[in-house]
Amino acid sequence: MGNEGVVEKRNFFQWFKHKWSNDPLFSIFTALILMIILQTLVLGFDYDSFGSWFQSWSNNWINILRNNAGIAIVALGMTFVIMTGGIDLSVGATLVATGAFAMMLLDVGERGFLGLMGITGTLAIILTLILVPLFGYLLGSLIGLTVTKGMVPPFIATLGAMMVFRSVTQQSMQGYNPRVPTEFLEIASLRIGNLMVMPIIYWLIIAAIMYYVSKRTTFGRQIIAVGSNERAASLSGINVNKVKLRVYALMGLLVSIAAIIQVSRIGSMDIAGSGRGLEMDAIAAAVVGGTSMMGGRGYILGTVYGVLIISVLNNLLNLFGVPPLLSDAFKGMIVIVAVLLQRKGKMF
Amino acid sequence: MKIEMTNIRKSFGSNDVLKDVSLTINGGEIYALLGENGAGKSTLMNILGGIYKPDQGSISVDGKEVKFTSPIESQEAGIAFIHQELNLINDLPIYENMFLGREPKTKSGSLDLEKMIRDTEEIFERMNIDLDPKKEVNELDSSYKQIVEICRAMMANASIIIMDEPTTSLTDTEIERVFDMMQTLKEHNVGLIFISHKLSEVMQVCNRYAVLRDGNLVSEGDVKNVTIADLARYMVGYDVRTEPLARKRDLGEEVLRVEGLTYNHVFKDINFSIREGEVVGFTGLLGDGRSELFQSIFGANDISSGTIYVHGKKVTSNSTTQAIKNGIAYLPRNRKENAIIPDMDILENSSITTWAKFSNKGIINYAHHKKVFQEQRDLLRIKMVDLTDNISKLSGGNQQKVVLAKWLATDPKILVLDNPTQGVDVGAKEDIYDIILKLADENIAVIVLSSEAHEIIRVCDRSLVMYQGRIQGELVEKEMTDHHIMSLATGGELT
Repeated sequence: MGNEGVVEKRNFFQWFKHKWSNDPLFSIFTALILMIILQTLVLGFDYDSFGSWFQSWSNNWINILRNNAGIAIVALGMTFVIMTGGIDLSVGATLVATGAFAMMLLDVGERGFLGLMGITGTLAIILTLILVPLFGYLLGSLIGLTVTKGMVPPFIATLGAMMVFRSVTQQSMQGYNPRVPTEFLEIASLRIGNLMVMPIIYWLIIAAIMYYVSKRTTFGRQIIAVGSNERAASLSGINVNKVKLRVYALMGLLVSIAAIIQVSRIGSMDIAGSGRGLEMDAIAAAVVGGTSMMGGRGYILGTVYGVLIISVLNNLLNLFGVPPLLSDAFKGMIVIVAVLLQRKGKMF
Repeated sequence: MKIEMTNIRKSFGSNDVLKDVSLTINGGEIYALLGENGAGKSTLMNILGGIYKPDQGSISVDGKEVKFTSPIESQEAGIAFIHQELNLINDLPIYENMFLGREPKTKSGSLDLEKMIRDTEEIFERMNIDLDPKKEVNELDSSYKQIVEICRAMMANASIIIMDEPTTSLTDTEIERVFDMMQTLKEHNVGLIFISHKLSEVMQVCNRYAVLRDGNLVSEGDVKNVTIADLARYMVGYDVRTEPLARKRDLGEEVLRVEGLTYNHVFKDINFSIREGEVVGFTGLLGDGRSELFQSIFGANDISSGTIYVHGKKVTSNSTTQAIKNGIAYLPRNRKENAIIPDMDILENSSITTWAKFSNKGIINYAHHKKVFQEQRDLLRIKMVDLTDNISKLSGGNQQKVVLAKWLATDPKILVLDNPTQGVDVGAKEDIYDIILKLADENIAVIVLSSEAHEIIRVCDRSLVMYQGRIQGELVEKEMTDHHIMSLATGGELT
């Protein structure tokens, strides 16, 4: 179909220019590749053998990916939210709420919910893995209902939810230090070969599912339709409120998965500090990946690139010895530069 | 002032949009620039407005050659471009809008509000306009917004004003108001370029005309020497018919009946019944409530009381999803706001209404939609390159056909077309009329909402004329004349 039949010989520069102005993700992908090359160069090749170089290089990468799995999963949900023209500021608070809920369920001390009911061992863990996502889904639905039925702007609804969720969680966890059973830690720390890659695997599986949902399913396409022209979507028989409700519910669900991963990595969660700024990191990743804050245009793959770019940047700053306090300045700049780069046709 | 555009050529990529066009526009005349969508009108005006640069050719103002590299330079030369989407800030008062970007300051550096108000009053007086400069723009109707923008151009000393389809969204009284304003401008020796698809308006207000077709100037002259039919023929290149389209009418059972339908003061006590294979027109002036009525029947708006029957069975219509299931399809007016999903391709825009219906466990069946659309593409004669091209790549008429395709995909029993030929050129209009009759022959009940009487006369078997939310009267076949429709639409009775 289309122009595929036309055989046109292009030199590299013409091909690059064409891709740059026609494929919205190309500029961001190019930037990512350049940063990875830079990172590889900085890491150096000062090793005895290729094998030891590769091991060091890949270890560095596994660390980067694992440390950012949580943000990445949240950013995927945020992409959908932003694509409907909304925003979710409550993800950090939802993270601690669902994380605290998981710890309360699992606590092997005297106050553990499941323990009190006589449920322990594997069954407790399985129940937690069902109940916590359900709780996240519920919290998300609550926000979704406020936005749709209550017609409260998403910014306000989630700003309010952010304060409520964290404050209630902090109060209910005051002076309480739940201990999570060690078996639970396997969820994140199970080694494959000798590598701690489980969080990365969860992330990639979720990214693949989200990618498929956004490209091929009714729900995924309805998200774009709603964000692109809500009125037209509604007049085309799409239940706009249902789509939005499901997007916020899914966001809550994904955040709870991130919470499970975080709790299972270190066995606890800092209720006051965890998840602070998570919403901004997630929004930044989505925006760097080409998602429009106006709704409609958004790319799951772009968000994956976005997370990688921000993580590689952090890694580079580390390698260069940039003071940690300055790292946010670079992060801020890369968000702005990424959006500048994506302004079609302005570069060449 | 006199503007000459000589041998203008412009192409975008391999597409030659203007092929050697020359025009002369004088002060004190109203000059109609006509042509179908894609004929090159907008490009030509954008060149005059300094937005595009011509590939070849020259522009001269009062005999002196000029080269515009930006809209500002064109404005400084005395050319004002009033776009279809008006450039006013709704939340500011009129006087501040009049001085946007060139606000007068007092010595202390604050805004000189008094001068702004005084100057605005002065120009309104000069133009014979009764309007309070302190009113906020969002309190104005579209015609006054138009007028404010024209006055702003006058204040900036414009001597040629380009008006791009100024009357599309106006009611008849508002149109008259704008026409009065245009006459005043003419008397002030301002030259007006009037871009419009409404040929009757052109006959009414313009002295000269030019017709573009496929980037060529095909005809130019005095309006008094031509008829509407002539102009239409120049635009499409063949004869355009205005007589009613004959067809064999084979009406089936009743499909839609509405009893006592009311929604606040928007529409009141509406009763009608429509049969299979019938084409029924709903007409009236803008704001008569017909769009709202059918949006309510389609479940997009509320109703306060009344009942809707589909195939004799009472239905509740509280969501568009439900209405589609009931076999009702509604093609809305204002395609851009209400029908087009700008971030999606042609195929998706044509199938959005049936994604859920044909999906398998939530996965969209693109193969099915492709097949359905390809059949419709032939039926509707949609001109396009690739299914995965963005919808915005199509011309207005073809976009409208894609929107129509998405409704035909739902296999409707009742098809409501609200202003179906809005922003569509003459050729595509005829295509749409043909399609309407073809659908009626397939036993679909088609309801056409339009404020253009000739359109109702051309395709409908009968028409219901609305006035202030009520059905004022019904006209059947031969009774449907411009005169009858107009007298009912303005609240009169048939004599």
